[in-house]
Amino acid sequence: MANLNRSIVRLTALGGLLFSLGCGSSEPPAFRLNMVAMTSGEVTVAEDYQQEIANVLDGVFGTPDHPRVISETGLDQSLLDMAAGPAWSDDAGANYGLYRKHCVHCHGISGDGRGPTARFLNPYPRDYRPAVFKFKSTVNAAQPTDDDLHRVLINGVPGTSMPSFALLPSGEVESLVEYVKYLSMRGQLETALTNFTNDELGVDDGERFALDPLNDPEQGEIIKEMLAEIVEGWDAAGDQVIAPAEETAPLDDRSPQEIAQSVEAGRKLFYGKQANCYTCHGPTGLGDGQQDDYHVWNKANKLFMDEIANEELRIQEGWEGDDLTKEDKDDLRAREEALVARREVASTLYPVRNAIPRNLRQGVYRGGRRPIDVFRKIHTGIAGSPMPGIGTTLSEEQLWNIVDYVLSLPYEAASQPQRALAENIAEIN
Amino acid sequence: MNRFWSLLFLLVPIFGVATFVLAGQYNIWLPRDVSTHGSTIDGLFMFILYLTGAVFIVTELVLFYFMWKYDGGKNKEKVQYSHGSHTLEVVWTIIPAVTLLFIAIYQMDAWASAKMRAPDVPIICEVTGRQFNWDFRYPGPDGELYTVDDIVRTDGKLYLPVDEEILLRITSADVLHSFFLPNLRMKQDVIPGMQQSMWFKATETGGFDIVCAELCGWGHYKMKGRVYFMPRPEFEAKLDEMAREQNTRLVATAE
Amino acid sequence: MSTVPADSVVAKDHAEHAHAGGFLQSYVFSLDHKIIGLQFLFSTLIWFFVGGMLALGIRWQLAYPWRPMPILGNMVGATEGGQIPPEAYTMLVTMHATVMIFFVIIPVLAGAFGNFLIPLMIGADDMAVPFLNMASYWVMWPAFIAMGTSFFVEGGASQGGWTAYPPLSVLVDSNPGSGSGQTLWLIGLTLVGISSMMGSVNYMTTIIQMRAPGMTMFRLPMTIWAMFITAILQAFALPVLTAAGFMQLSDRLAGTGFFLAEGAMANNSEAASGGGQPLLWQHLFWFYSHPAVYIMILPAMGMVSDILSCFSRKPLFGYKPMVYSIAGIAGLGFIVWGHHMFVSGMNAALGMTFMVSTMMIALPSAIKTFNWLGTMWGGKIEFTTPMLFAIAFVSMFIIGGLSGIFMAATPVDIFIHDTYYIVAHFHYVLFAGTAMAVFAGIYFWFPKMFGRMMNDSWGKLHFALTFILMNCVFYPMHILGMQGFPRRLADPYHYETFRNLLPINQFMSWCAFALVGVQIIFVLNFFWSMFFGQRAGRNPWNANGLEWQAPSPPGHGNFDFQPVIYRGPYEYSSPEVEADYYPQTQPPAEEPKPE
Repeated sequence: MANLNRSIVRLTALGGLLFSLGCGSSEPPAFRLNMVAMTSGEVTVAEDYQQEIANVLDGVFGTPDHPRVISETGLDQSLLDMAAGPAWSDDAGANYGLYRKHCVHCHGISGDGRGPTARFLNPYPRDYRPAVFKFKSTVNAAQPTDDDLHRVLINGVPGTSMPSFALLPSGEVESLVEYVKYLSMRGQLETALTNFTNDELGVDDGERFALDPLNDPEQGEIIKEMLAEIVEGWDAAGDQVIAPAEETAPLDDRSPQEIAQSVEAGRKLFYGKQANCYTCHGPTGLGDGQQDDYHVWNKANKLFMDEIANEELRIQEGWEGDDLTKEDKDDLRAREEALVARREVASTLYPVRNAIPRNLRQGVYRGGRRPIDVFRKIHTGIAGSPMPGIGTTLSEEQLWNIVDYVLSLPYEAASQPQRALAENIAEIN
Repeated sequence: MNRFWSLLFLLVPIFGVATFVLAGQYNIWLPRDVSTHGSTIDGLFMFILYLTGAVFIVTELVLFYFMWKYDGGKNKEKVQYSHGSHTLEVVWTIIPAVTLLFIAIYQMDAWASAKMRAPDVPIICEVTGRQFNWDFRYPGPDGELYTVDDIVRTDGKLYLPVDEEILLRITSADVLHSFFLPNLRMKQDVIPGMQQSMWFKATETGGFDIVCAELCGWGHYKMKGRVYFMPRPEFEAKLDEMAREQNTRLVATAE
Repeated sequence: MSTVPADSVVAKDHAEHAHAGGFLQSYVFSLDHKIIGLQFLFSTLIWFFVGGMLALGIRWQLAYPWRPMPILGNMVGATEGGQIPPEAYTMLVTMHATVMIFFVIIPVLAGAFGNFLIPLMIGADDMAVPFLNMASYWVMWPAFIAMGTSFFVEGGASQGGWTAYPPLSVLVDSNPGSGSGQTLWLIGLTLVGISSMMGSVNYMTTIIQMRAPGMTMFRLPMTIWAMFITAILQAFALPVLTAAGFMQLSDRLAGTGFFLAEGAMANNSEAASGGGQPLLWQHLFWFYSHPAVYIMILPAMGMVSDILSCFSRKPLFGYKPMVYSIAGIAGLGFIVWGHHMFVSGMNAALGMTFMVSTMMIALPSAIKTFNWLGTMWGGKIEFTTPMLFAIAFVSMFIIGGLSGIFMAATPVDIFIHDTYYIVAHFHYVLFAGTAMAVFAGIYFWFPKMFGRMMNDSWGKLHFALTFILMNCVFYPMHILGMQGFPRRLADPYHYETFRNLLPINQFMSWCAFALVGVQIIFVLNFFWSMFFGQRAGRNPWNANGLEWQAPSPPGHGNFDFQPVIYRGPYEYSSPEVEADYYPQTQPPAEEPKPE
């Protein structure tokens, strides 16, 4: 078998070589810049600065085919090498290019959640660049731990198009976790550099201040600091895990009566003013409450598009104004010019979707169905989403009551279609 | 030159048979069967394979022989001016008809036991296909699905006891999928809004593939799962472990 | 059965009108069946090329998953560093099948050969309703445009498989290609159906009403019998597909729920309504598409019968059993559709009845094969290019036919359903079978179409390479299927179990690339011969068929004499005459004996 295989492989590889020599192949993929960030805000980052930012990022992180790790990031080069580059397997069956194999068509080459399939998914795939992750064990503002990312890969995200990768050979999931962190850090540095460029650099009195850390040791230091801060955020994740106190947590061997009591207490809280869950999740728990907010990823795009619309309006008003001086007109023209680039970016954005509160009666728990998962969400909210945490206003016992209630919901007898139960309505009023 | 064409067609039966012989040599064959009924299906497959193989070889050889013998350039004999033979027609109608009918009837029992005679055992797990994952829901200690103590797994790993009748309920959450267990010779499409059953008895422990066999969208290939068969006590322990994990309320503070 | 139809006054009128027109009327909006046939032929050959390109994308992905595809990559939707994304792969699979079935095989057989041959072979001057005939071609164009543009809409062309099973094809948000791509697909399909319907009504009328004097039903060549039965199949099966297509369109656009269960949802978006049944579509679809399988093979069988008899210089063995078996296939063809649905969740008891009827439908195919062998027995075989393709058809059809028995056996089908075993089976029937017959037909009737012969040496080279390569591509699919290698997976090697099949797939893929490559020989030969080929007389093959008595190429009205038929089309090497052929129109030396 092996012999036959090998000779066939050799033959076909030879053919493949001839074929590709004769015809050339497509260019190696490159990371994309975050154009929304580049063109939103007061001023658009000029193209030469965009190029410089890209250069710095390439210098620090390398390219999709050849990721680089500088020691400051603490990332593992060998794990990244497994995940990066084009997909292939060696003779021993070890796989490389895992990200291109499993992830890229949704999450995109830059981890911006803009792969070819992404537009058609609901919810959209996660954009790693802001380093905001929903399903994690840490407090809202913190980064996820490696274990959290690992868990998402293992269990998938039920209720979305994210499947489970539990069956990948050992080591591959770790490699992908590392690569996700790599893309996140890269995205964070990109944002920091964009802000830095906007705030500190620019053309002043005809002199252009370049972003060029190689020749400007001061900038080099600044970038190192930025990176250190980003890495610190990831390293500190482990200290920010939400761990409920042992005393307050319900026991496993509770009697049905005790559980019922807890569920009842949870129900009261759910519909009460303090926890206020029903406002969004609805008087039925169907998620049919307030739906007019956005996740941060969508919100950024929404703001960007709104800003374009506002600017259009302002320019129009400007033209309608009386006594326009030449400077006014030049200014308006320049602003119109600037809008062109933004509109171009806006045309590539996906339609903005509202954040729909979870239907709690489906028994689908995207972030995990363990009580601890639900507890953490109620405690600190869900990062990036409108869901706030109420861990500071309620006691842990109360949080556990809500957990019990929420977990009982899919099994609670509710008529079809589920109507608001009178007892719950009474609680609200 | 004309001989060349006859010989070219002679290659068909030669390579046709050689491919199957070599495939067996190189272990490309029906995947390992780990079910009690699988051998019946494999037996039927092999039966048809030998039967059709024989017909294949004979007809292809006859074709070759006719091409060789009745080659217009070489054949000096007079053409057989014949419009057919009633006897032959009857013969080659009746023989295949009886054979085919026999195959059909011969298959019926295997089909009935695979798809019609569900065993009278409780449902051990509900399998739900969704874009793009297999989710597994075990009834939990109370033995009933859709109660608070259900154990739900989304990691694509299905644990089942070995050496006993397994009854699965399979459903779909969105579009068509097909729950395919190659090593158990079982496949069943799942249709949203309908519940299907699948039953089998595994004879070996170990992990085996779960494949989605019905096009379910762009991520069809991602719907990979794995079924693990284990002795009953181990299975119970696994269920306990999964139940414990699902009930996790506390984390080790060392984390 | 010995009806002698009167000349059709209507058709005569039309044929005379056609003479008057300019270029546009003669060659574009022509009412002449031969021009329409050639229009179908050229259109289908172009789509054959498109379908082949789509197949290359599939083969690339199976050989080098996620690797950038050279040259074609961008055309087949590669992104992110040149790799084909999974939805594009799914689209390739769907559209390869759709294009090959609905734009190539069905129109090339019924549209191209049917149109060109029917009037010529039965001695009519044109089709019964030439205008309908023209319409049947021009209705194809909106279909071409609908399917063609669907590649460029957001989300790409349909990705629901050529069977378009709901809910995937109905729920707009369930898949990228289920957006406007699927709507255009359904529109295209419906238009193809309308075209086929117009064609089949025309064929039936023509064959029944417009036969030349003396051309009784049992003096018709097998090609015409096959076309006739095919037309009947289409006429009865198509309305079901059209209705189903409209139902699916209305599910998608008007918010009905024929094919959606209550509360159907996918990708977190809910259907407008429900209460229907996804399986209903499968029943309706296969009620058409199973007969369609025979629509895709019967005319090929007919053409092969004619060519085999001609180049064996021998009467067709068992003409009447051949006719009856075609009719038998057509009849049984309507009661076997359930064999596509053995594991679909359909009531298992139904599976048994469908198994029996399916087993029985193998019988007529077996009878035909034996009769073809019987035809070659004791002949003087001339190995011309069309003959080689025709023999290849027989040889390959044996494989395709026998592998079908595995699928008909329900317990075995549980395992091989939706694996490459199925893919092997239908490629052996449709590519190694029908496509070979189509090549045979083109080489055989080319002189009649263009008045020149195709180059035989290049033709033989084309044959030898095609024959060898296609077996290299399709035969290994059997053993892939035996191992359970599933269809339509963008990356089957996601399963470690199938890793060992990668080298075989690479071998198959390279053979597939070469197979597409060698078709250049055919294309060059075709166009070169059209203009520079050796001039052919009326009857270059010394064949008996009526079409060979007309001028090459025949003018308007086809025959420059009134054909009168004295015998069947297979009287080769008849002892009654010196020559080894005895044309249907040649008056017998002595008193004509009644058949």
